[in-house]
Amino acid sequence: MFKELDPILHSQLRLAVMSLLIGVKEAEFTYIKEKTGSTAGNLSVQITKLKEAGYVEVTKQFKDNYPLTICKITSQGITAFEAYVKALQSYLPK
Amino acid sequence: MEEKQLSERESLLIIQQMISRAKNEFVDTGVGPILWGAVITVCSLVQFLQIQFDFKLPVDIWLLALLAIVPQIYISIKEGRERKVKGWDQDVMAYVWLCFGVGIFLVNFVNNVAAHQLNPILSEYSKLSGKTDVPNFWTFGTSYLLFVYGYPTIVTGATRKFKLMTFGGIFCWVSAIIAAFTVAKIDFLFMALSATLAWLVPGIILRRKYLLQKDKNV
Repeated sequence: MFKELDPILHSQLRLAVMSLLIGVKEAEFTYIKEKTGSTAGNLSVQITKLKEAGYVEVTKQFKDNYPLTICKITSQGITAFEAYVKALQSYLPK
Repeated sequence: MEEKQLSERESLLIIQQMISRAKNEFVDTGVGPILWGAVITVCSLVQFLQIQFDFKLPVDIWLLALLAIVPQIYISIKEGRERKVKGWDQDVMAYVWLCFGVGIFLVNFVNNVAAHQLNPILSEYSKLSGKTDVPNFWTFGTSYLLFVYGYPTIVTGATRKFKLMTFGGIFCWVSAIIAAFTVAKIDFLFMALSATLAWLVPGIILRRKYLLQKDKNV
């Protein structure tokens, strides 16, 4: 029986962002951009979608007078990610 | 990274790649362990030489360890500002080493109080009994310090899966046991060796790894 994959996570960039954030406590926007190799605009849109789904928490602050965006996975995001990986496993040949 | 329909295999590959990229980020700069490894090694060796050749420097060499707190604070702030990502264990590690700093202060404080009270009694006993091999408190003081040195080192080595550092920490504990049976002069040699194995050498290796990783990321 195949489980349905979460449409929020079943997207290349959003999944990459969640996979990065699952292993760390928090990460700056520039770090995520650098590691995913995405454009700032696209990443911003995808992070907003993850935020709206309640999967990530976004904090904006200032560092040396420059705006700084920090992203952190939420407990809801961790549950969704774990469920997504479990669902993925059901698609793989045993 | 473009948006496209993902296959299950591609999804797994992305997850694997990203987790691995995040993992590679956690390489310690090695500056802290090098700084403390060098300072404690130098202080211990100078202390050993002072006892061995019976001379005294105009200033207490251990003031160097107190002074090293200044660059350590600067390094911590600088590394914190440069860090774009924070791992789950970073706060825990910071608390472990903060407790180590406080622990060293407390052990030194208690050692000094104990030495101040016990050494005159032991010295008096030595005079009255005519025995020349009566130890003073400092023969044991280094054991307590070596135990405190080992504690956070083993925790850090085990958490970061850095075997050499874990071994260095265990060496501190072994030295703590040996130092309980040796004279103060030899204790300081063990302290120098412990600081070298627990911090200086692992610090140099960490620094090399960090620079290598930095070059790869450029």
